[in-house]
Order: sequence, then structure tokens, then C-alpha cells
Amino acid sequence: MISGEEERMDAAGIPYMIRPGKGPEGSVLDLLGQLIGSGGADALLLPFRVPSGDSFAWIMFSDVSLLKDAVPFPATMPVQGGRALRSLTRKEKGKLRIIALMRPCEIRAGMELSKLGQVNTENLILASYDCPGAVKLEDYVADPVSCDSAHSEMRSRGEPSGNARSACSTCVDFSMVDADIHFGYFGIKDGGMLVLPGSPAGRALLEGLNLEEGRGLLPQWEAEISRLAERRAATREETFRETAERISGFDGMLATFSNCIGCHNCQSACPICYCRLCYFDSEVSRTDPEALITAAEKRGGISIPPDRIMFHTGRLAHMSLSCVSCGQCSDACPVSIPVADVFSFVAERTQRAFDYKSGRSDGEALPLRRFLKNELDGVHEMVKDAESEASPNE
Amino acid sequence: MSEWQPRILAILCNWCSYAGADLAGVSRIQYPPNIRVVRVPCSGRVDPLFILKSLQAGFDGVLVSGCHPGDCHYISGNYVARRRFAILKPLLEFVGIEPDRVQFSWISAGEGERFATVVTKVVEDVRKLGPSKRIVKKA
Repeated sequence: MISGEEERMDAAGIPYMIRPGKGPEGSVLDLLGQLIGSGGADALLLPFRVPSGDSFAWIMFSDVSLLKDAVPFPATMPVQGGRALRSLTRKEKGKLRIIALMRPCEIRAGMELSKLGQVNTENLILASYDCPGAVKLEDYVADPVSCDSAHSEMRSRGEPSGNARSACSTCVDFSMVDADIHFGYFGIKDGGMLVLPGSPAGRALLEGLNLEEGRGLLPQWEAEISRLAERRAATREETFRETAERISGFDGMLATFSNCIGCHNCQSACPICYCRLCYFDSEVSRTDPEALITAAEKRGGISIPPDRIMFHTGRLAHMSLSCVSCGQCSDACPVSIPVADVFSFVAERTQRAFDYKSGRSDGEALPLRRFLKNELDGVHEMVKDAESEASPNE
Repeated sequence: MSEWQPRILAILCNWCSYAGADLAGVSRIQYPPNIRVVRVPCSGRVDPLFILKSLQAGFDGVLVSGCHPGDCHYISGNYVARRRFAILKPLLEFVGIEPDRVQFSWISAGEGERFATVVTKVVEDVRKLGPSKRIVKKA
């Protein structure tokens, strides 16, 4: 793995291991139970299967006897964990010290929300795990049983399969992120698992548990993670290339979003879109009927309502800097528009422009919250010619 | 006058560019009458959606102008605006809006003449491109 990662790991503390036996799922639940028992935290936030059996819900609880019903690695992502963190801490740091076990993209969303003042991480212990990807909600609701087995197969291979979200196949941040604790199990034989502290808080918690030192497992895990990351990076490049082709130019954009029914589900499901009143849901966003008629006369015809492309372009302009490419938007789309592919593609470019990567720890300010005095001369270069023509004494 | 005239929305910051426009008027400097001015407190107030919406509403071009870097009345509003536009600009090009339709510039309160030059340049650029047909839908 990259050396920077190792340094960070060393700074946070030594890796621990859990011997094979219960498998990753059982080991994670055991360890979380111990953390609650040792008084390291007050409550847990984990996914549980809903009574109908075809989805999962976030449950916050402190009664460890409930742990046996939790599903630490759910096959789908019905509610993005970043949203769950936000509902708990959007006003101030939580009264309880909560350990939340989430996918890496959910923790990255939490980090972005924390930079946006929507999540307070002070009393949260975030735990991540090696994520093979999430199954599409649509598929899961149709057939939970076979999707569960498909997902467990994905976990053992470490790779997304056919019914995983497209965003997962192109995800390269599927393992250790800026969480307090990370559970690594990809590539470790016989169901053993690494427990990696990622922050001083995580280290303090784990130190109290008498875990076995796990440096020995590190090389095989790191090798597997970089192998998988390479494969996903290749898929990512390929998908981006296709997306670029598909949406390039106005006609491409129109073709991609032409079957949009304007439900704004992508916006409601997005973990980062947090405004209480979105411009696109407000009265001012509605075009005046008179103006529609004028436009129709001028252009010979218009589509009604007129805001489809504008809605998606506007959301790209607002949100792409914080997009964590979790794929919620595509999953929420009732007409199967590849919203997430477009967002990931644009997000990579806008974030690269500011040398920013969404979802890293909340010490780093958002690109629009900071600036350099001398940068981006190109922005106004269009009128530079005019400037040089203006008289010099101005 | 039946010949097509471009309509351009000029979003100007209160402290520099709007005053620059004012100076151009007071000094009786001539510039094309194709712009409609909206005054905002700061170029940092300009949401990318304002620009998209004006194009959608039928403007053929948009000019956003604020204080020179370092001169912002609110210290850093225009630096933030510059970052925001840096994202918007490639995005607009990407969805197929000609880059010359949306332009950004810095004009101070003392630069009446420059205001006229910039407006003339923008109007000419947009005139060359012709009427905006995009964003709403191709006719």
C-alpha cells in the first residue's frame, strides 16, 4: 500500500488482529460489543434488517443483547450513513459517544457534511470496513435472498459483481478511509481480520481490549487491497470514458437526462445535498408562464417543464466538489438514469482543479471556503484582451 | 430595427463594477445598449444557478463583474467567486454552452472607460455567436 498510508497507520497505532473463527461479521460484532462493555462508548449505530426483510435501517442502541440481530455488512445502502450521522449531530456534538459502523463512502459523506457544518464528529467513533460494493436497491427488493448470497460472494472476492451499483465498480476508496477504526478482511485467509486504528481516539479504544498484535497480517491485506484498487481503477477509467462520450455537448446531456421525470429523488437521496430549502424546490425557480410563451415563440418550441438539464447542471455546480461517489442518486432514480456516473465523472474533474479530494478528514477546508490570492487567472482571461486595450492610467 | 440584437445580463457588484458602470454613464462614455444590469452586494453573492437561470430565461450572454482581486469590499468575496466560476466555466462548456457567452471580469469604481470596453467586447463576442438556443431546448 502507499507509504503515506502506512505512516498514518503507524502514527495512529499498531494494527491488531482477530483470529479466524467467527468470520469477519461475527468478529466485528463481538468487538463492538466489547467496546460498549468496556465503557469506551455509550451506544452503537448499526444497520438492522427491516421486518419485511427486503431492506435495512440504521438503529442506534446501547443494549448489547440486540447486537446478534445487527447486520454489520448489509448488501444494500438504503439510507446513506452520512445522513444518519447528520440527524444525530446536526445541531451540536451528540450527548452520547456513539460508534458507527459504516461503508467507507458513508464515512466520507460524513466528513464532507462535517466540513459543511452538518455533522459534528466530536463524540462519534467512526468505524469502516473493506467494502466490496452495494447491491442495487431495485434488485435487492425484488429478491433479497439471492442478493444476500451474491453479496456474501462479493465480500469473499472483494469485488462488486453484476448487480452491484455502477458507482461501486468504479470506487477506489473502498477500504481504509479517515475513520477512527478500520476492519480489514480482504485477502486475509481463513476469515481472520485486521483491526486498524486510524486516529488517536480509535487507538485509545482498542488499546483497552487486549487484542493480539496483527502486523503479520498487514502485507497480505495490503497486497490484496492494492490489487483490487488497480482493477477498480481500470473499470473507473473505462466508465469515465464512456460517460464522457455519452454526455458530451448539449445533445449528449439532453439524451442522458431526457427521460428524467423531475422527481428530484437524486437530490433527496444525496447525502451531501443538505439545504433546508433547495432553490429547485422554491417558487423563484419556477419559470413565469409568460416567459415560457416568449421563449417558445423565439425558439419555435420548448420542453415543459423546462428545468431538467438546468436542475442537473445546477446540482453539479453546487455539489460536485463534495460528491463522494456513493451512487445513492443512481439507486434512487426511478427511470434508471446513470446520475452517479455523471456526477463521479464531473466530480473527479472539479475536485482535481482544486487539488481536493472529498471525504478526507475534516481538518481540510472545502475548496470554496478557502482561496489563494494568485490563482485561476484563466477565469477572466476572456476579457483580458479588452483589459489590455483599456488606457493604462486606469 | 429588425436585426437581431443580443441581450446580455450584467451582474455587477455594488462596490466596484456597478460604480464603474455609473462612472461610465456620468462620463458619457458610449457603450452598446445590449446589457441589462443586476446589482448584487458582491460577486461572491452570485450563485452559479443565477447564470444558468438567465441563460435558460433567454439571455444570450451573461457578464459577471466584481472588484479586482485584493479590492473586495468584503475582503475575500471575489476570491471565492473566482473559484466558483472556475468550476462553472468548464461545466458550461461541457453541457454545450459556448464559452464566450458567459464571461467574468474585474472592474473597479474608477474604471468607467474599462467598463465600456469590456461591455463592448462581450456584446461583440455574443453577437458573433448569435441567439442562444440552448439550455431550454433546441428549436
